Amino acid sequence: MSRTTDVIVVGSGLGGLMAALAAARQGREVRIISEGTGCLAIGTGCVDLLGYAPDGASVEDPWAAMAELAPAHPYSLLGAEKVREGLDALTETTARHGLVLRPASRDGKPRNTRVPTIMGTLKPTYLMPDTFEPDDLGKAKRVLVASVMGFRDCRPALVIDQLRRYPDWANKEYFPCLIPTPFDDAHRALNALDLARAAERPGGSEWLIGSLKERAEGCDLVLMPPICGRHAGSPLARELREALGCPVVEMLSIPPGVGGLRIRDALMRELAALGVELVENANVIGAGVAEGKCLSLDISSTGRNYATKARAYVLATGGILGGGVLLEPGRAIERVFGLDLALPADVAEWTEPEIFGSQAVSKVGVRVDDKLRPLDANGALALENVFFAGRSLGAHDPAVEKSGYGVALATGWQAGLAAAELAAAAHNTGEAATGGEQ
Amino acid sequence: MLETTVVVIGGGATGMGTLRDLSMRGVPAILLEQGGIAHGTSSRFHGLLHSGCRYVVNDPESAHECIEENMILRRIGKGCVEVTEGFFVLTPKDDSNFVEPWLKGCDAAGIKVKEITPAEALKLEPNLAPDIQRVFRVPDSCVDGFRLVLHNRMSAERYGGRAYLYHKVEEIKQRNGAICGVTARNLMTGELMEIACRVVVNAAGSWSGEVAAMAGLEAAITPDRGTLVVFNHRFTSRVINRLHPSSDGDIFVPHGSVTILGTTSMPTDRPDDTTPTYPEVTRLLEIGEPLFPKVHEYRILRAFAGTRPLYTPGGASGRKASRNFNVVDHAADGLDGMVSIFGGKLTTYRLMAERVTDDVCRRLKVTTPCRTAEEPLIETPDPAVLARAAKLFPVRALNLMADRLGDDLTKTLQIAEVAAVAAKNTKNTHITDFGGGNPLLCECEMVCLAEVECVARDPSTHSLTDIRLRTRLGMGTCQGTFCSLRSVASLVEHGIPLEFAPADSMCRFLQERWKGLRPVLWGQQAREMEFSRAVYAGILNLDGAMHEQNN
Repeated sequence: MSRTTDVIVVGSGLGGLMAALAAARQGREVRIISEGTGCLAIGTGCVDLLGYAPDGASVEDPWAAMAELAPAHPYSLLGAEKVREGLDALTETTARHGLVLRPASRDGKPRNTRVPTIMGTLKPTYLMPDTFEPDDLGKAKRVLVASVMGFRDCRPALVIDQLRRYPDWANKEYFPCLIPTPFDDAHRALNALDLARAAERPGGSEWLIGSLKERAEGCDLVLMPPICGRHAGSPLARELREALGCPVVEMLSIPPGVGGLRIRDALMRELAALGVELVENANVIGAGVAEGKCLSLDISSTGRNYATKARAYVLATGGILGGGVLLEPGRAIERVFGLDLALPADVAEWTEPEIFGSQAVSKVGVRVDDKLRPLDANGALALENVFFAGRSLGAHDPAVEKSGYGVALATGWQAGLAAAELAAAAHNTGEAATGGEQ
Repeated sequence: MLETTVVVIGGGATGMGTLRDLSMRGVPAILLEQGGIAHGTSSRFHGLLHSGCRYVVNDPESAHECIEENMILRRIGKGCVEVTEGFFVLTPKDDSNFVEPWLKGCDAAGIKVKEITPAEALKLEPNLAPDIQRVFRVPDSCVDGFRLVLHNRMSAERYGGRAYLYHKVEEIKQRNGAICGVTARNLMTGELMEIACRVVVNAAGSWSGEVAAMAGLEAAITPDRGTLVVFNHRFTSRVINRLHPSSDGDIFVPHGSVTILGTTSMPTDRPDDTTPTYPEVTRLLEIGEPLFPKVHEYRILRAFAGTRPLYTPGGASGRKASRNFNVVDHAADGLDGMVSIFGGKLTTYRLMAERVTDDVCRRLKVTTPCRTAEEPLIETPDPAVLARAAKLFPVRALNLMADRLGDDLTKTLQIAEVAAVAAKNTKNTHITDFGGGNPLLCECEMVCLAEVECVARDPSTHSLTDIRLRTRLGMGTCQGTFCSLRSVASLVEHGIPLEFAPADSMCRFLQERWKGLRPVLWGQQAREMEFSRAVYAGILNLDGAMHEQNN
């Protein structure tokens, strides 16, 4: 694989896929180098933009609240308009594959919605699948909370107990229900992905509908785990809603992230149609760098090592969890280029005593300019043809802010556009020769 | 007002062992513990059942006691002890002149030591450094401190002893120079409990100085802080000690699937100074490196710290202070009926309990001899019960469960059997369980639903942390990320509420785990931490829910 491509994207989480999409839409030749499935495999399928302000206040309008973020926050670097471009690109693309994502609105203004989780907590999120009607949640009086026998992660009793603790949800009538498992006893511990797959198999919709039909009678809302199919645009949720004659809402669930995989499915189909090349199970183990430019990436894949080249690179390698940021005793570094990442010298200051407090260590990441190119410790441009996106960027804490997918898609999209522009310019000046065959 | 003869203060191994001994000798007794099971030092050490070799040079009396108690505990505490043996290893960094006095000391203490060649040692423990100089096999073992305390309690209860957890002593009452009672506060309800008694045994370990002060007595107890590191793997089969004079961080102890390295030693003025720090962790790794050159690369699960109750009447401190124990009858200080047990270590807890109980019995003119060294802590599981259990529980987990549960095994089995019958009869119409099987809620440590339920129903269980201490739930690789949600969900489903609302309960549990992660936040475990935050904050909004729900 020595042919020089226009843009190499490292990572196939939401940031990486959006970057690849942006560059491919600009007519660039794009190659994705991917180690694993990325963040979409643990995601919920709803898109969080900004749920809580830095002072912990709940956010109704994320667009307005973005203006209050710190200057180094990825949203502040891009500005709300560029975030919106990324969001529109995502929704337009997933819709084309049958997955319509949209925000709720009040008085004509889009707003966050508080969505129930399999734990019975409510989480603010921005975009939801169109099977999900926010008004249904508020209006419902009689709620069936359904799960599946043997599925340990979602137990209706807990969901009901927790929902009742919210003033808006306290006065509804709840009915717990466990439907039979579609597997025999010998099956290993069930997760939501197993069930979503089972629901798409022959007989799956009959299982779902048949088990819920009678139990949902008289109810005006059904809450269930995300098991209505694992593909984008699966008709199951709509079929179920029609058969039961009442709204059906899939609660946000813990990994494996069925909802996130549906978004991934839509994006992958789109990228395949655009001819984007995907190299899977490939680990970037180093980079060739000279005169402030990345010349090539060293890849290790299925026992073979090789170098791969592009005119521009997007690094969407993830943060600490994704493996793009490595924490070592006393320091943090960016994995591919070894960029030193700023953390207090005293390790005691990396964290706060409260687990959900503001952790310096959770905000560690690559510092970038407003074009998302990496800066060195002195604030000078470190690499001119490399762009960072998603969780590898510092200065945000998606877990607490509820901003993960928002930052990923917005920075991914803009990094992809910038990389495409650079690659196009390199074509025009004939610079491709420097990245020639080896 | 409750009435009893003896009140024991402190629910660690010594206190619970004393309750057991008193109860076995027929002396009515009540134990008061401010926290949960093994709240203090008995849960915050490396889990080494000393052979005594560590003390043979400086503290021969301790060494002798250790080897005797070690052999006794292997007999009476089968569910708590893993008989592993240990190595004492001389590395190139250690002084070879220490070997001769050490060998002499082992001989004098009656500890059987056998030298093997480094090549043989490396065959048995391949992860050891290849440049080790000399290796000696010693009868070290491993002991589970939580379980030891729990099983002592079970044994005491069989003889009528009672233990109140989460009860903090607020007053030790005396009349005319003699003990007449104790006032304790139930920390869960805030209510006061009055107990009339004739004798108070102060077995509060690191807190025993504070307890003595409450009775107007002075005691030279200096808490000494020790930090330990838990590795994600069991990379040795045996306990590995560095062969040199006692110092920081030189013992690796395997436990189930993990390994513990400890400890540091640093004076502190607070018995509850149990927050580990980053410099302590890096120091431990540095000292461990000559034994295991790759120790820096091993995945660390967490760090924790405990305090040793050093008894320092002469002003000795740290490593120099004796690990010996002292039974002090405060009649000599003018308070009749107050007995303190100061110093000591977990390996000799039973002997300490025996000595203090001897003293109490002399006063009460009870002549029943001590039998704690003869009778096992828990009864051997009935094969018929095990056979029934094998039908409902994952077979791999069965022996672990039997060891953990002790007297509760039958109760747990009954819970599972009732659930199985209910599942068969209800035909899925409403909330029933898992088709009658009994699923694992914690896969890392193989803890089943019925086990969690049984422990949760115990009146002294208030939190997920209490459940963890008795079952090991959440102590494995995922550090509670998956099992805490499942456990809380199952408990709500079964109508067994914990002290706190579910979100609060889980937050407290994760918070407790976080404390141990903070000083070791790198590598794979840092990823696990971010995963846990992504799940509980990012997806489930536990942090927001805490402020938005009514409790």
